[in-house]
Amino acid sequence: MRYLRLLALFFRTELQYELEYRTNLALEIVQIVVIITTSVGAVLILFNYTTVLNGWDLGAMLVLLGCFYLVQGFGELVLQPSFEKFMEHVRLGTLDFALLKPASAQFLVTLRNFQVVQLGQMGLGAVVAIVGLGRISTLGPGEAVAFAVALVCGFVLIYALLLALSTFAFWFVRIDNLMAIYWSFLDAGRFPVDIYPGWLRVTLSTAVPVGVAVTLPAQAISGRLDLFGLAVLVVGSIAAFILSSLFWRVGLRSYTGASA
Amino acid sequence: MGEPIIDVRDLRKTFRVTERQEGLAATLRSFVRRQRRDVNAVAGITFRIEAGEVVGFLGPNGAGKTTTLKVLSGLLYPTAGEAHVLGFVPWRRENAYLQQMTLLMGNRTQLVWDIPAADSFRVLQEIYGVPDESFRRTVGELTELLELQDLVHKPVRNLSLGERMKVEFAAGLIQSPRVAFLDEPTIGLDVSMQSRIRRFVAEYNRRTGATILLTSHYMDDVVALCRRVIVIHHGHLLYDGPLADLAERMAPYKIITATLRDGAAATIDLAAYGTVTGRDEGRVTLKVDRQGAPERAARLVNELGENLADISVEDPPIEEVIDRVFSEERVGTAT
Repeated sequence: MRYLRLLALFFRTELQYELEYRTNLALEIVQIVVIITTSVGAVLILFNYTTVLNGWDLGAMLVLLGCFYLVQGFGELVLQPSFEKFMEHVRLGTLDFALLKPASAQFLVTLRNFQVVQLGQMGLGAVVAIVGLGRISTLGPGEAVAFAVALVCGFVLIYALLLALSTFAFWFVRIDNLMAIYWSFLDAGRFPVDIYPGWLRVTLSTAVPVGVAVTLPAQAISGRLDLFGLAVLVVGSIAAFILSSLFWRVGLRSYTGASA
Repeated sequence: MGEPIIDVRDLRKTFRVTERQEGLAATLRSFVRRQRRDVNAVAGITFRIEAGEVVGFLGPNGAGKTTTLKVLSGLLYPTAGEAHVLGFVPWRRENAYLQQMTLLMGNRTQLVWDIPAADSFRVLQEIYGVPDESFRRTVGELTELLELQDLVHKPVRNLSLGERMKVEFAAGLIQSPRVAFLDEPTIGLDVSMQSRIRRFVAEYNRRTGATILLTSHYMDDVVALCRRVIVIHHGHLLYDGPLADLAERMAPYKIITATLRDGAAATIDLAAYGTVTGRDEGRVTLKVDRQGAPERAARLVNELGENLADISVEDPPIEEVIDRVFSEERVGTAT
């Protein structure tokens, strides 16, 4: 409860901050709209020439694209700004302050900063997914629940991965490049993970689970994810979260502040 | 006296640092194989601090002051030794401990740059779980003591360095801590802001009875705030005792300042009375042996007679004493 209240408070302070820069806010919204409409356009053009892409028809593809923007939007809403700030804290030694608070330092650091405008990306993603869903129309309550669970698991997977990656900052301090590689991998998630060749599919499903984080929710909502698959996803996400949190703690032990 | 608030026993902290020579070749070599060396930042120090004390923690750069503060606040694990603060082992970082302490660093900020401090205060209130009523009272008091008023409603980046430090102080004290570690709280501030921060720390200590351990390069801070000082150098404790006795223990000499009447300065040689360290028109400063100081002063008065306009015998300035301590590394403890 306390952490939820804190989260709401973090969100509110960041919202206030973004509202101070109205022009910037407007430009970012335009950018989001342009990016999403062009990628929806690309899918529509593609489906002018074909009706099915490795088992994914237009509706399913739109759902997938919607899920992609939901997951990416979540990443850019809170994870990207927070993790960037986290690495800055490590570099400047201001992480000290978070460590000295009577609350989980991991929470205080990794869910602290928001780019509120990215809610727009998530909203548009939801719209695209719903439009796609209209063409499939198999959504029962079961699929809806499975979708919600799979989406949350997707968020958790992305979080765990970023946490594990950013932990390297404790040893190497500057790891911006590593994070950049990650964001470009995430881009691959806008297509179904099963259209990629074997080695890439394995990478996108395990080492860099962006494919899973996007593809599985899309499959869930279109009724193509069975209960077993969902269970594996849930267990996998929880395991990823626990392992990455442990890794973070190991990293924390090597942190000594910018000057000792 | 009850249990000490801060109890440190034979505390040690060794860092492993990477060494590298200058130049590209050395950099490349170091990239492949790092040369490492152990540095004893804190080499076995012991002290206790009672409730409500304000203690100055002195030492040159790299003496181990900040390392000690970091261990005591819970940021660093010591290599060996024990420490208890408020009965807690700091580096376990139990919430009950963190709730009651604060670490303020003059060169780092915990405030969010782009939003007004008042918003950061609200976040801190929530993190520390301070009830609304006491939050309002604390912020009200801090606002009055630090003269914050409208400062807290401006984005932090628009504040001057001094204003930011005042707001930083308020942020660090939202939870009304019982122990405060202040690391160079007045660094970079102008003289009048320094003295305001000092007055605030003294008043805060008086009002709340909080125990304060402070490091500073400005001796004025220490003179104004601390009756007791702990001096460390190269990680060793050199002195722990009243500030007033520091000069007596550490500097075996006194300063006699004799002011001579017009014209006399040119003809009288004072070198026979002590080492002449300064001469400014009629004013001559002499460094004399501590024990012999009263006798020298009496001789000056007798022998110069009419030619002497004024005379004073003082301890050397505290900066000079400290400087001497650090350059000579004399060991002594006044407890």
